[in-house]
Amino acid sequence: MDIVLQQLVNGLTLGSVYGLIAIGYTMVYGIIGMINFAHGDVYMVSAYLTAISIALLTFFGVQSFPFIIFGALVFTIVITGAYGWVIERVAYRPLRNSSRLSVLISAIGMSLILQNYVQLSQGPNQQGVPTLLSGAFRFYVGDGFVQITYMKVMILLIAFTGMAVLTYIIQKTKLGRMCRATQQDRKMASILGIDTDKVISSVFVIGSAMAALAGVLVTLDYGAFDFYIGFIMGIKAFTAAVLGGIGSLPGAMLGGIILGLSESLFAGLVSSDYKDVFSFSLLVLILIIRPSGLLGKPAVEKV
Amino acid sequence: MSQTAGMNYKQCFTDAVVAALMALVVFGPIMGVVLDGYKFDIDFQRVAVIVALVFVGRLIMSYYFQTEKGKAMIFKYASNHDGVTVNPPHFKSKMIWVIPLVMIIGFLIPFVASKYILTVLILGLIYVLLGLGLNIVVGLAGLLDLGFVGFYAIGAYALALGYENLGLGFWSMLPIAAIAAAFAGAILGFPVLRMHGDYLAIVTLGFGEIIRLVLTNWVSLTHGPNGISAPLPTFFGLEFKRRSASGETFHEFFNLPYDSGYKYMFVYLVLFIVVWAVLFIKHRLVKMPIGRAWEALREDEIACRSLGLNHVLVKLSAFMLGASTAGLAGVFFATYQGFVSPSSFTFFESALILAIVVLGGMGSTLGVVIAAFCLTVLPEMLREVAEFRVLIFGILMVVMMIWKPRGLVRVTRNGFAAREGAVK
Amino acid sequence: MSNAVIRKTLISIAVAGAATLAQAEVVIGVAGPHTGAYAAFGEQLWKGAEQAAKDINAAGGIDGEMIKLVKADDACEPKQAVSVANRLVDSDDAIAVIGHFCSSSTQPASNIYAEAGVLMVTPASTNPTITDRGLPNVFRVCGRDDQQGQVAASYIVDTLKAKRVAIIHDKDTYGKGLADAMKLSLNNKGSTEVMYEGLTRGEKDFNALVTKIRSVNADVLYFGGLHSEAGPLVRQLREQGSKAIFMSGDGIVSDEFVTVAGGPQYVDGVMMTFGADPMSYPAGKSVVKEFQANGYEPEGYTLYSYTAMQVTAAALSHTNLDPIKAAEWLHANSVDTVMGKKSFDEKGDLTVSDYVMYEWNDKGKYIQQN
Repeated sequence: MDIVLQQLVNGLTLGSVYGLIAIGYTMVYGIIGMINFAHGDVYMVSAYLTAISIALLTFFGVQSFPFIIFGALVFTIVITGAYGWVIERVAYRPLRNSSRLSVLISAIGMSLILQNYVQLSQGPNQQGVPTLLSGAFRFYVGDGFVQITYMKVMILLIAFTGMAVLTYIIQKTKLGRMCRATQQDRKMASILGIDTDKVISSVFVIGSAMAALAGVLVTLDYGAFDFYIGFIMGIKAFTAAVLGGIGSLPGAMLGGIILGLSESLFAGLVSSDYKDVFSFSLLVLILIIRPSGLLGKPAVEKV
Repeated sequence: MSQTAGMNYKQCFTDAVVAALMALVVFGPIMGVVLDGYKFDIDFQRVAVIVALVFVGRLIMSYYFQTEKGKAMIFKYASNHDGVTVNPPHFKSKMIWVIPLVMIIGFLIPFVASKYILTVLILGLIYVLLGLGLNIVVGLAGLLDLGFVGFYAIGAYALALGYENLGLGFWSMLPIAAIAAAFAGAILGFPVLRMHGDYLAIVTLGFGEIIRLVLTNWVSLTHGPNGISAPLPTFFGLEFKRRSASGETFHEFFNLPYDSGYKYMFVYLVLFIVVWAVLFIKHRLVKMPIGRAWEALREDEIACRSLGLNHVLVKLSAFMLGASTAGLAGVFFATYQGFVSPSSFTFFESALILAIVVLGGMGSTLGVVIAAFCLTVLPEMLREVAEFRVLIFGILMVVMMIWKPRGLVRVTRNGFAAREGAVK
Repeated sequence: MSNAVIRKTLISIAVAGAATLAQAEVVIGVAGPHTGAYAAFGEQLWKGAEQAAKDINAAGGIDGEMIKLVKADDACEPKQAVSVANRLVDSDDAIAVIGHFCSSSTQPASNIYAEAGVLMVTPASTNPTITDRGLPNVFRVCGRDDQQGQVAASYIVDTLKAKRVAIIHDKDTYGKGLADAMKLSLNNKGSTEVMYEGLTRGEKDFNALVTKIRSVNADVLYFGGLHSEAGPLVRQLREQGSKAIFMSGDGIVSDEFVTVAGGPQYVDGVMMTFGADPMSYPAGKSVVKEFQANGYEPEGYTLYSYTAMQVTAAALSHTNLDPIKAAEWLHANSVDTVMGKKSFDEKGDLTVSDYVMYEWNDKGKYIQQN
């Protein structure tokens, strides 16, 4: 019993991280219909930025944990957002009128660029951040116990707060309305006076910022990263986005959590060798039953 | 903006300053602060250089785009010219003599080239096969497949496993591997045909990953990550080894001194013939009803279905043909390397093959051939700049897409005319 | 024996060999992952070989001919390994190769070197199949995974007297080979593991696996793999409140292990098997000092690579730069290196396995156990 509960906790935290990164995929897909393969590497860049900001802050004598995490969050989110903006400007905007596959190849190229640029600048080594917050809540269940570190509690809190803020922005603000309008019909939106280029740029910035949020949290929690982490995380997050229905914000979060839970439970109760096989099979199965994901709108076939 | 072609130098300068500032924000932390354990070192020089480069580059770019030439260039990129070039009916290209020339040169190369060049060429030809296969699926049938490497892996492992468990050699496994891969294509294709565009992409991606993971984890059959050795082709039963346990070897039979280059020559020649055969078959297929059906289905599925095309069968045939070509490529890969392991079949391979198809020009056979050679020979040429190899490769991918978004070679086709003797 | 003595012997060898060939350079390839995810290890190989070549050249080279190193990048991909191996043999005319790193790259590449009659000495590929195939030109100056597994298994059974052992590997040639070897030795000693599973390389979240380890009440967790996964694994193990002893092989020998584990408090008590400390040899000590003087900490495989170069140079100098004869010579003779006297058996493995048990302390350093 305690083991199953512990696996649920593991899956939930992992899933919320997947969900945060999946948002970047789902928003970009929703608005310009492209798979942004470089998104996982944007997350990787944010992990480096987190470590750099922590190193800088401790160097300048900041010791208290709240200040460090606040500083790291602001620094990382701002600069990762800038990365999102620059990547869109340089690699995707010139291809706005081309076929979607050309943009896909450009994105794969961008992903290679980011990985190798970071490797060349920072060296190929494994990197890490010191443990800033240790300790855990422990709940006794029957004979065993369930343990949740403070860091994991913080991940859940910040991830869900981030989601709530984003939902508010998309639903209630002017920028959100412009995003939704552009998503529905880009041409019509531009006729109505919306600067769609600007909206697309801001979507990239928002998506990158969410990836940065995940980057800070994951880096603080696992404490280890290298220039290659973006790839696996990117594929997992993209799977989550598709699972939940690509283009749908709640879908991304739901997909992330389902993926995280299924991975943890399968690895814990059956075999960790085949856990990825299981997640991909689950994805195929869900897509066969619901071809546009769990919360996605079914594609309307034109006649 | 005024009509006079006056230069707005202020605009140039502001653009450049903004770009430089952006470069400072983006490159500053990652390039300037180098992590070392939990501490860091500062490297201002690199940041200064890159920011200066961006500033100058942007200045030149702004200036250029204000000249007449630059404006023409912007206009060219902004316009959206799509579709195929249609030649007049019965058009025969004047370049037709190139084909026999390439054939002759291709046949002569192994006798003059060094072993290293030969191995690079073999790899290039393997990617031509892969590109041709994926071109049927993505370029012609319009089904975005991100797990193409799975079929490649099936072909490669079929050779190695067939040799180890059934004692079958290269020649018997060549067709069997193609059939096995086609069969796998059918199994995958059937359930996913309901899906559209990008859902199909992620499912195929998942399928490719599943194959790789199973190859890694099913240790009792595949030896897992240790990989498994694959046999060399034989020349009418003669082996290309220094010494053979079973009878004579190639060099003993022909009284030649032993040279490990012979086996690469032979693999190259066989592969060269297979590539030409696949090229020919594909060329004919495109002109046959099935090829027309692929393209029609890509353009408008509903119209095709209303005209009575069996869309499941058409898509499935594209999937299976593509997969079997990849299976062939896999057999050659395994025999060329003499060894297969799951680490050769990662998602990056799928992306590379897709890049070949898109870079070559979707649906264009010639483009695929050129792009396949570019993408395999280029990294080898870049070996001189070892560390920057993959970075430059990535930059070239982005630049190529911006420069030629529809690929290197545009698709051309001959127009139709009524056959002679037909009623007009 | 001090470094100076080695140099003197090398010089005398060079003089005695009385170079007859007119070539000015001996080309030796250093093959390994110089780019990609394992580039850190490629750097270790390169630094070690570079320093060794510099020292040998300073002492007069091999038979009076200078060593010229060629960097060959395989990125730990078998496909690229075949390509660079052919390039080294064909275009660069290398007569010997130091490398490769990943066993999955070494295996296909070694076939090519064998055909071309090039001497190959790998400083790092520990998978048994590398030498078990009986290629005459293949040597390694590191141990074999089965030897390492044996040391670990006897330590667990005899010293720790642990009953419940969980085995985790990273599904890679090295990690799984090591875990399998350890499992075999453990079973031969009459003990059965309580859990045997793989994790995925490149991932950082092993919480699900850790919970499972907790649920089987393991006393010892044996991990076959590299520090990039070992760090997060041991940290998450401690964070979930498990007190199982963490044990691994030479794949975690790197200061980065402490960095990725989130600080020295997590690596405290981690056990590992590794070759005897090179600092315990006088020759090793002076070479380590030389490295440190150049601002490089010779960790992991750096000294193995140095040793591989010394072995290669010694063999070549005794046989007039004939790599095929050099291989025969190595099977019969022993070489003094910075890591002690090395001799090889008929397969090309070291005759004496020098694996010993180390323990990490709360300062983030490892200390040899007796």
